[in-house]
Amino acid sequence: MSGPRTARLGRGTTLVAAGLGGLVFVAVLAYAILTALKPASEVLSVPLRWLPSTFAWSNLTLPFTETPFAQYFLNSTVVGVSVTLLNVVTCTAAGFSFAKFRYRGRDAAFMIVLATLMIPVEIIYVPLYSLVYSLGWVNSFAGLIVPAGTSAFGIFLMRQAIGNVPDELIEAARLDGAGDLRTLVSIVVPVVKGPMAALALFIFMLNWDSHLWPLLIASDDEHRTLPVGLAAMQADNLGSAAVPMMLVAALLAALPTVLLFVALQRKFVEGVTMSAGIR
Amino acid sequence: MALLSLRVPDSRAPQRNKPRRRRRNAIGALFAVPALVLFVVFAIYPMLRVFYLSLFDYSLTSPPEFVGFDNFHYLATDPQFGAALWQTVVYAVGTYVPALTLALVLAHALNTRARGSGLLRLLYFLPVAISWVAVSVIWRVVLNPDGLLNQALGLHLNWLTSSDSAMWGLVVMGVWKETGFFLILFLAGLQSIPGELYEASRLDGAGAFGRFRYITWPMLLPVTSVCSVMAVIRGFQSFSPQLVLTNGGFGTQVVNLFVYKTAFENARMGRASAVAVLMFLLLFGLTLLQLKVFARRDR
Repeated sequence: MSGPRTARLGRGTTLVAAGLGGLVFVAVLAYAILTALKPASEVLSVPLRWLPSTFAWSNLTLPFTETPFAQYFLNSTVVGVSVTLLNVVTCTAAGFSFAKFRYRGRDAAFMIVLATLMIPVEIIYVPLYSLVYSLGWVNSFAGLIVPAGTSAFGIFLMRQAIGNVPDELIEAARLDGAGDLRTLVSIVVPVVKGPMAALALFIFMLNWDSHLWPLLIASDDEHRTLPVGLAAMQADNLGSAAVPMMLVAALLAALPTVLLFVALQRKFVEGVTMSAGIR
Repeated sequence: MALLSLRVPDSRAPQRNKPRRRRRNAIGALFAVPALVLFVVFAIYPMLRVFYLSLFDYSLTSPPEFVGFDNFHYLATDPQFGAALWQTVVYAVGTYVPALTLALVLAHALNTRARGSGLLRLLYFLPVAISWVAVSVIWRVVLNPDGLLNQALGLHLNWLTSSDSAMWGLVVMGVWKETGFFLILFLAGLQSIPGELYEASRLDGAGAFGRFRYITWPMLLPVTSVCSVMAVIRGFQSFSPQLVLTNGGFGTQVVNLFVYKTAFENARMGRASAVAVLMFLLLFGLTLLQLKVFARRDR
């Protein structure tokens, strides 16, 4: 009879260990948040002080008054939202096409899309840059948005999701006289809005993290996104006096995706696991 | 309304005329056009062109000049490229072996409805939601000689400004950032294992180790294989922390940073393309190898 009890005991011990590990993990964030609110003279004090003597709330505005942080934030938002919308539209339309129509070349096109799933995008950045350069899209939102406008993973995901929509439903809409676009928008989309939301969240977070491509394309403050802007701010402010400002900037930059993540955890997990093909 | 008309049998449906069906399928093909155009222009064409450019001396501003395999020959003897390859391997192995192991162990501990496990998952997931550059900015402070890590461990290392420790500073940060990502995948894998299997084995008197050895591990193999493929790709993609924290100094110049500097600081587009071709072949080979190894063990 000791079996289940030891199992429970084992489970309890591992949970406690996981809890301690979690504390270590979260200590870094707590340290960053508290240090961001310290007066400049108290950051990096030896021995370590977790709490500031007084909370320097005025630190919170430093990135906005000392750097073009607000502009970077706005740029990231514009690019992130545009890329996400474009992806949802192009991937859903392509998924509909691949799942519910029959035409020559369809399977070949889909296989080619799938094959590119394995290729890290960094590998094509040199020719992609020279292409975007010759299009005159360097330092433009077009250069940041259009090349990221669709994704192999999204097409694959939406094809799977729409494949599960019963053909009868689509036939019925057609018999009612709905065109294919109407059918997609008013019949298919409501059924697959779950996967669409997971895709949107996944693409937005991926784009928010994107650094190398915007670094190549956006060198002026007008177009720099948060990762590029943050890195530039960091390079300009290496001294310990700038530590609170840089931490505030980094934490504010993390806020949108962290909030989205906390609010839509399940959708995000869906997106990640679907991207790995686990579910 | 649509559902109602579903009930009405349409006697002509089976012999619907061919031209109309063909027209409808042509319209269906149109739905794929926006995605495919973007794909061909911004993925397929650059992919093919990277192979082409790898045979040229090309600086973006002057026309490409054909040089055959010179770029590859140069790379084969360039100690910087060799170092970049080695440093990428050290970073990838150093970060992802602990991250995957930790994620697997944590997934077991947290695959429960016990109170607090949800909050713990959230804590481990949080770093996943923060961008690499923001994480790097935060960790510059953590890795400062007077920062959290040294004070917590009682050390006095110059983490980011010494060749002995810069890579390990990046690795510690990488484990913190990436464990949660794989934890998500392992948890999803664990939850897809039917509970009856465990019930049955419990009745058969299997212990905790036996259950792991004969149920969890084999059932998790597909997930483990996906995770390890993703770990290799993510490891070789690493770029932001090295750029932001060390700018490739102190033995942290990974391949992506090497490509970036070769192409965009030294304007050697052809040579950078050659690296891309080599990386493509390497990653493709590694991925196939991993899938094969796991497929064999799966049997």
